[in-house]
Amino acid sequence: MTELRLHRELYAGTAVDAAVKVYARFAAFELVEEASHWIVRVSSKNAARETQVARELANYALGTTIRERGGVQ
Amino acid sequence: MTVDLRSLVGIGAKLDTSFPAFFRHRRIGEKVLITNYEGNWLLLSDEEFGRFARGDVPTGTPLHTLLRDANFIRAEYDVQKAITRVRARKSFLHLGPNLHILVVTLRCNETCVYCHASRANMEAVHTDMSKETAERSIDFILRSTSPSVTIEFQGGEPLVNFEVVKHTIAYAIQKNESIGKQLEFTMVSNLSLMDEEKLGFLLQHKVQICTSIDGPEHLHDKQRKLPGFSSHKAATKWIARINEAYAEMGLDPTLYHVEALLTTTKETLPRWKEVVDTYVGLGCKALFLRPIDPFGFVEKTGARIEYPRSEYMEFYQQATDYMLELNKQGVQILERYAAIFLTKILAGEDPNFLDIRSPGGAGIGQLAYNYDGKIFTCDEGRMLHETGDDTFLLGDVRTSSYREITGHATVRALVIASQRDSQPDCIDCTYNPYCGVAPVHSHKALGSIWGSMRLSSLCAVHKGIQDYLFGKLAAADPATLSVLQRWTTVRSRDHFVQSGMTSA
Amino acid sequence: MTTPLEGIPAELVTAELGAGSVHLRVDSQLYPLGAIYAAAYVFLDRCFVLLDRPDERNIRVTLAPKKAGADETILRTFVGEFSNELLSAAWRRQIAQDNRAVIEMVTSQAISAAMGPPSLDDLASFDFGDESFEDPLGIAMSWEEKYKKKDKPDADGTPDPEGKP
Repeated sequence: MTELRLHRELYAGTAVDAAVKVYARFAAFELVEEASHWIVRVSSKNAARETQVARELANYALGTTIRERGGVQ
Repeated sequence: MTVDLRSLVGIGAKLDTSFPAFFRHRRIGEKVLITNYEGNWLLLSDEEFGRFARGDVPTGTPLHTLLRDANFIRAEYDVQKAITRVRARKSFLHLGPNLHILVVTLRCNETCVYCHASRANMEAVHTDMSKETAERSIDFILRSTSPSVTIEFQGGEPLVNFEVVKHTIAYAIQKNESIGKQLEFTMVSNLSLMDEEKLGFLLQHKVQICTSIDGPEHLHDKQRKLPGFSSHKAATKWIARINEAYAEMGLDPTLYHVEALLTTTKETLPRWKEVVDTYVGLGCKALFLRPIDPFGFVEKTGARIEYPRSEYMEFYQQATDYMLELNKQGVQILERYAAIFLTKILAGEDPNFLDIRSPGGAGIGQLAYNYDGKIFTCDEGRMLHETGDDTFLLGDVRTSSYREITGHATVRALVIASQRDSQPDCIDCTYNPYCGVAPVHSHKALGSIWGSMRLSSLCAVHKGIQDYLFGKLAAADPATLSVLQRWTTVRSRDHFVQSGMTSA
Repeated sequence: MTTPLEGIPAELVTAELGAGSVHLRVDSQLYPLGAIYAAAYVFLDRCFVLLDRPDERNIRVTLAPKKAGADETILRTFVGEFSNELLSAAWRRQIAQDNRAVIEMVTSQAISAAMGPPSLDDLASFDFGDESFEDPLGIAMSWEEKYKKKDKPDADGTPDPEGKP
C-alpha cells in the first residue's frame, strides 16, 4: 500500500477527488481526512503499478488544483 | 551593457529618486542611453548621467532644458505630452486585423532548405484552396473591423493555383463594392511560374508582387532548388520585367518596384557585400536582413544552416554599414529592420510591423487562412499546424463567426503574452518602448508563449539591432544621421489601393 | 537515504538517489504559492511533482523525473531548471500585479477593437434567457409586455383582440 499525503493548503479537495475518479479502475483507493492533509492510500497487487498510479494521481491532483486556483491574485 | 551606477553617480553619493521621472538606462559605447515610458530618449555622457541620477541639475542649465523637454524630470513631467506620445505609439490598438494571409496552395515547384511553409509536392492537388473556400475566406476577411485590409497570397507557390487567385481577387473586389474597405492585394511568389498573361492580370488588378532573393546566384540556387533550372535566373528575369512594366505604366520606379525578401542562412553570413550588391543591382530599395526562424524545414536542416546570433549581428552590422555608405554615395537602399525601429525611435510613430509591436499582431492585427479554410492567429501558427501543433488554430471560415475568432481565448492569451509590460526582461529593458515579442516564436523555440527573453534568439536580434542603431545615433555622424532619418520616411503606394480612402 | 547535491546548500536541496528524486525547500515568503504552482506546472510533463508544507514558512517540492535512471547529474539539472523557473514565475507574477491596470486596459482595447460590436447574427444567437441578468425595473421588457392588461374574455369566452391597456 502506498500512502499519499496531500496538504490541504496545497491541494484542493475537489482536485483530489477528481484524480481518484480518473484512476479508479487502475488500483484500489482509501481516502482519509486529516487536519492538515488529504490521505490517499493506493493499493494494487502489482507494486510497480501501485507506485506509478500513486505518482500519476498526485500529478493529476496537482495539475487540477493549479488550474482551479490559477491566475494572478 | 550594464551601467555601473556607483561609479557614475559617485561612490558614497546618494541617488535622488525624487528628481528623475521614470526611466530605464543602458550603456551605448561611451554614452548612457536613457528612455522613458513614452519612448523619449537621450544619450548622456557619464558625467551628465551621474548628475541626472543625483538630482544635481540646476534649473536653467542646458542639461536641465534637455531633460525637461524630453520629459525626464519628475517635478516637471508633462502628463499630457506623454499621453499624446503613447497614443501615437499605440494607434494600431484601435484597428482590427488588417493583414490576411491566404495560403492558396501548399504545392510548390521549388524546394528551399529553410522552407517554413511546409510545402507539398506538385502532385498534392488536395492542398489547393477551392474557389468556395476562398470566397468564404473573403467573406470573413471583409468583416474585419479594420477599415483597410491587405490580402496576401502565399503558399507553397501561389502561382500554382492561379485560377483561384484570380477568382478570389475578382470576388473580393466585387464584394467590397458594398462594404468600402481600403483593399490591397499582395503576392509572395518565387516568380518561376510567371508568364505575360499572369503578369497582365496581376498588374491590371494592382497586386503588389514580392519575392525571395537569397543573394548572389550561386547561393540562391543552392538554397532554393528549382529542378532543371536556375531559380535565381527565373526570379531576376521577372523582377526586371515587372519593374519595366511599372515604368511603362508611368509609375515612379523609386516607389513602385518588386521588393524581395532575404532569409539569412549560415552560408549567407560571409557574403554580406554580395547580398547587398545583388539587391541594389536588381533595383530593390529595401533589404530585410531576416534571420532564420524556427519553423518548418529548419528542424531538419538547422544543423546545416543555423548559426549563433552573435554571428548574425556581425553580418548585420557589416551589411548595414555598407548600405549606409552606399546611401551616402546616392544609392537608395534601406535595411528594413532598421527602418522599422528608427520610425519608432526617431519619428515616435509605430509602423505597425506586426511582429515588433506591443501587443503583437497575432489574432488582432493579422490572421492566416489555410487552403482548407482553417483560420490561424498568424502564418507561423499555420506553419505549426502543418507540423502537427494546433495550438494557434482558431476556427474555420465555414463555421466560425468573426467575433468567435477575434475573441478567441488563444488570441487573448497571445495579446497578454506579447505585451512588453507583462514580460520579465522587457519590463526593465531600455528598448521597451520600441520593441516587440513574438509569442508564437517563443512557443516553438522556447516551449511556452511567454518564453524567456534571456534565451530568445529574437530578443538577441532586436537588442543587437537597437544597440547598433543607437550606437550610430551616439556617434552622430551628420551624413549617417541624414540617411537614418531618411529611412523613416514612409511614402504611400496609393496605386495599389483598390477602393476606399487613399492614404495621406 | 537523502544526500546533498554538490555545490547546492544541503538545507535547501537534498536528493534520494535510490528513489531518483530530489527535494527542494522553498521559502514561501520569497516565492509566493502562485509562483510555486506556476513553476511546478511546467514540470508536470517531465516529473512527478509533490508539494508539502513541513512548516508554516516553507514548502517542500519533490521532483522525481519520469524517465527512469535519474542520476545526480540529471537531478542537479532539474533542480537548476526548477529554480530558474520558480524565479521567473515569481518575477512575472510581481510584474503582472504591478502593471495589471495597463495590461488589462491594453488587452481590452486590443480585443474590443478587433472584435467590434456584435452583428445581428451574433445577437440572434445570444442567450437572452431568464438567468442572463436581473431586470427588477423591467427595462428589458417591451412596453406591451409590461403594460398589457389581462385580456377580458367575451361572453362566449373569446378574449378581446383589441385588449386595451
